[in-house]
Formats: sequence, structure tokens, C-alpha cells
Amino acid sequence: MTNVPTHWYNIAVDLPKPLPPPIDPYEGESRIALLNRIMPSELLHQEFTALRYVPIPEEVRDIYARLGRPTPLRRARGLERLIGNGVKIYYKFEGALPGGSHKLNTAVPQVYYAFKDGAKEVATETGAGQWGLAVSIASALIGVKATIFMTKSSFMSKRQRVLFMRTYGATVYPSPSEVTKYGIEALKANPNHPGSLGLAISEAIDYTLQGEGRRYIPGSVLEFVLMHQTVIGQEAIEQIPEEPDLIVGCVGGGSNFAGLTYPFIGARLRGEGFERTRFLAVESKAAPKLTQGRYEYDFPDSGGLLPMIRMLTLGHNYVPPPSHAAGLRYHGAAPSLSLLVREGIVEARAYTQEEALEAGVLFARSEGIVPAPESSHAIRAVIDEARKMPKGSVILLNLSGHGLLDPDAYERVS
Amino acid sequence: MGLYLTATYPSVRHFIEVLNGVRGLVDFLEIGIPTGNPKYDGPIIRMTHRSAELKGLEAVKVINDYSKYSKAPVLMGYAADYIDSLNEVASVARSVNAVSVLFPDLLFDYPELIDKYVRVMEDSGLRPSFFISSKTPYKLVKRLSEYNPLFIYLGLYAATGIKLPIYVEQNVTTIRGIVGDTFLVVGFAVNSPDMVKSLIKAGADGVVVGTAFIQRMSNLESALSLLKWLRGGLP
Repeated sequence: MTNVPTHWYNIAVDLPKPLPPPIDPYEGESRIALLNRIMPSELLHQEFTALRYVPIPEEVRDIYARLGRPTPLRRARGLERLIGNGVKIYYKFEGALPGGSHKLNTAVPQVYYAFKDGAKEVATETGAGQWGLAVSIASALIGVKATIFMTKSSFMSKRQRVLFMRTYGATVYPSPSEVTKYGIEALKANPNHPGSLGLAISEAIDYTLQGEGRRYIPGSVLEFVLMHQTVIGQEAIEQIPEEPDLIVGCVGGGSNFAGLTYPFIGARLRGEGFERTRFLAVESKAAPKLTQGRYEYDFPDSGGLLPMIRMLTLGHNYVPPPSHAAGLRYHGAAPSLSLLVREGIVEARAYTQEEALEAGVLFARSEGIVPAPESSHAIRAVIDEARKMPKGSVILLNLSGHGLLDPDAYERVS
Repeated sequence: MGLYLTATYPSVRHFIEVLNGVRGLVDFLEIGIPTGNPKYDGPIIRMTHRSAELKGLEAVKVINDYSKYSKAPVLMGYAADYIDSLNEVASVARSVNAVSVLFPDLLFDYPELIDKYVRVMEDSGLRPSFFISSKTPYKLVKRLSEYNPLFIYLGLYAATGIKLPIYVEQNVTTIRGIVGDTFLVVGFAVNSPDMVKSLIKAGADGVVVGTAFIQRMSNLESALSLLKWLRGGLP
């Protein structure tokens, strides 16, 4: 029987090259110093830890277990039959968690560390609302207030997620909002601004700085976020009965992809197996940083409030077109993932939302689970790859979330 | 204990005055070569690069023998400025009696040049030295220690002079476990004898002071007192 992991895995210490540190822009106030004022202290330590394995606090492990970890690893026999060439497909179902996605894996420790710091409130951004929902749940369980800035295009289209965030007690603002200077400026420049994750991050940070007892917690991109998600891959290594030839996940900032793949990649980098496994990161053509981005220092938020990190990026001012897979509408990819793509250890591919949702429908009809539009991008890649692979090949997919709260996405394709 | 100074900051005259003042108070000196883009430094050290009276290697050359001021003077520059002229930097280092040239950006930006850098140092009669962060891959840290460097320098925080709530002692102990007997120097935001003491206890062989000293440099007596006070943390 698989247990809840006792540690998170820090891939930085096994990478083929050093992870470039965050830096300040040449002019202006130190963004690195600002981190002290906005983030829970333990998270900052984890961002710079030299440990390979970071212990998970017992309180966090307990909540993981209460919420349903370990999540199931299932065989996609229906999808296998549909493809029909003898390729075996397994999926790790993170949608089984109460928030419907993997995001709780980092929401719980982040809110926990904010609470331990004495915070009364956490603030954050969200795209499709999966991160916002996870933070709302974690905050309700741990006993702090949650304030969520949700990209406006999603706020308008994902009404059920807004409703459930509020059900858990969170305050939800559409971003751009009128409660921060960044939102007000964006609305002044474009009253119909659809919002972007980068802008919502800036709003959440600005809101954090406006009040006492608030902490900002990020949903992706930063290394500690990816590290928290490695419970997925650690469980999967124990659960999967055979070595995968291919592991696939979708990428917004990189957290669910890293969560599943990093324990496998780390083992390979240390010479402990998975030599033949390929790793495929699937992004949206609406925000194709892995396939078309530049590898350079850039801000993770459009307001330039956070330190610059070296990543594959489309530029922090890039506003992706509205998409049903709002969780993938982000201009950059986490530094460690960017480095792994640059080093050729992780492959990358981009799909349109139409290509992805078509695959999502196939998955729903063959497996009985409506996948999140984001996860459907990974499913598209699984189907395309499986068709080319020889009989007996093994694929592992991260089904990072279900799509039951994304009816807007499936309305047009069902 | 080591001290970081940017060459010719704030002026040639003041820089020389400081060097004379710290003689006997520090065991080694790190002399920064003023650059236009000290990207891995914090705001105070960045300011010293901007304000140094002379720029580049000309600034370093105002002193013809740094060994008069400390046992092990080391130049510190950004590899980005000298990627095609590593030999020239090594030659200048040799001419001013420095024993190594440390490039904080070498591993992050030019890891493919590590072997070349080591060769240039050795061919010039210098020892290599390496800057690492807490997240430098273990295999690479191990490999660096096998080059028999003068030291490995662990940056304790994300940038010079900016403290974050990081368990720096835990990171020092972890890195110590990898580098074996290699001389391990740590620095960034070192500003109290208690901190010096705990870093040494965690496994560091030496600590470097930079920002805290530079912030007091306008009053040399106060800056020198700081060094004496910090030395109180040494065993």
C-alpha cells in the first residue's frame, strides 16, 4: 500500500547545471528584499534549501491524508482500446482531491506556513480558479482568510469555481480589479482587459502589502511550489507496476508537470533508473513559452514586483488570448523546468485548445472522467504519441484535474 | 575572515586608505573588478560598481601588490566581461600578486567554460576558486572540489547584503558534507559575531564581509571597528 510521502523532493541539487539564482533588476528597489515582507518565511527557506529531501510537517501530511492522498493511479483501459495498438496508458488522478486538481498539494503547506508565521489572511492569484479553489479549501481547514484575484476572463466564464471559492469563505475579485493600483492602471489602459496571471500576481502582492497580517502565496513557477507537488511523482513511482516509456503532463507554470516527473527525472539524473523514459511537457498555443519563448531573466509578474528569474518566457507583458485552459495562460515556465527543456531532458509541444478539448471528449467517453481543459492538452499528446509507439509501450499521464467545473469549455465541443 | 572591496570605490585615494586600514585585520581580500552589470550582487555592492572611480581592470591596477595587505588576495570579476580574455584577467591578477580570480557568474552562465577557466588559472600560476549557491547540484559541487581549488565560496542568500529567512547553517553543513576538505568560504549579509560563530560551527572555514563594511566605509574607524567586532565570532 502506498503511503503519503514523508518528504518533498528538491530537484535543483540533481540538475545537470546550476539553477541561476533570482536577481533584482538593475534599477529600482530590491525585489529580493521585498520577499521578506510578503511571503511565509519557511517557503523562502525552501526556495533556497540545499537539502535534496525536505521533511513534510506531520500536520501537513495529516491534511494530505484527510483530503485523499495518495491519489489513485489508474489504467486507462478505455482509452487504450480506443487507440487500439496495445500501448498501455496509466494516469495519476489528481482530480480526485476535493479541489478537483493537484493544486491542494502546495496550497496546504503554503497556507500552513503562513499560519505558522502568524498571518491572518493569504492573498493570491488564480487563472481557471483551480489554484484559488485549493487555497480557499486549505485556508478554511487551517483557519485563515483567503483573498483571490482571478483573471477576469475566467471570473466571467468559470462562475461555479467563483461560487465554491466563496462557499469555502474566500473573497474573490476579478483581475484587473479596482482594489489595487495595478488593476486600476490596467483598467484605465483597457476597460475590457481580459486579465492575465501575471497581472493577477501583481494585484495579489500589492494587496498583501496594503494590510497587516497578510501573506502572499504563489500557485506555480517558484521552485518550492514545484517541490511540494513532488508527492505526485513519489507516489506514482511506488504505484506504477512497470517502467514508463513516456511521461506526459501539461504546463502553465510547470507545477503539475514537475510534480509528476521530477522524482522520475531525479532518479535518472542520479543514475538510479528510468534511462529510457521520455518526458513530454505540453503547453497551450495561447502561451507557448516552452516552444517559442526566450531563455532569459524576466519578471514572473507583469507588474515587476517579484525578483527576476531565468526562465523560458514570452515576456512579462505578454497577455495571452482568452482560453478555456486558463491555467495554461502564463508567460513563463519555472526555472528548473526551463533548464530541463534547454538541456533536452524534457521535450515540449504546444496544442490549440480545440485540439486539446477534442482529446478531452475522447477521454471522457472512454474513461468516464471529464478532464480539466488544461489536462486535456496532455491527453492530446498522449493520444498522438501512443499512436506512434510500439505495442507494449507504457505511458504515464498526469491527469492534473477534472473538468466538471469547466462546462464553458465543453459547451462548444460536446 | 575575508573582506570584499570594489576596487577604487569610492575613489582611488579612499580605496588605498581602506586597504592600509584593514592590514592585519583580515586574512584574505576579495577585490571586485568594477563592472557595468554586477547582476548577482545586491543593491549596496551594485552601487559600489557604479560609483567606483575607475572601471574594469584599470581599477585593480592602482595597487601593484595586494599581498602587502593580506595573505591571500583574490580578484573577483564577472566572467561575462572577460569571456574572450580570461588570460588577460589572469595575467593582471598575477601582476598584482593576487592568488586567484573568482567569477560569481561562471557556473550559472558559462558552466561549459569551467575546464578552460581552471586551465587558465593553473597556466598563470594561480589557483582556481568557485562561487556556488545553496542550490548548486551536488555532483557539480563534488567535481569542483576535485579541482583542488583555493576555496569554494558559498553565497548564503540570493544576493549580497540581503537577508532572507533561510536556514543558512543547514545549507553550510550540507555543502560541507560534499566538499570534504576543500576550504569552504561563506558570505552575503554577514553582519554579527554570532552569525560568524554559527557559520563556522556549521562547517565554514572562513567568512567574507562585504556590504556591512561598505555601509560604514565613509567613517573608516567605524568600519574597522566592525571588522574587529566580527572577528570576535571566530574561534
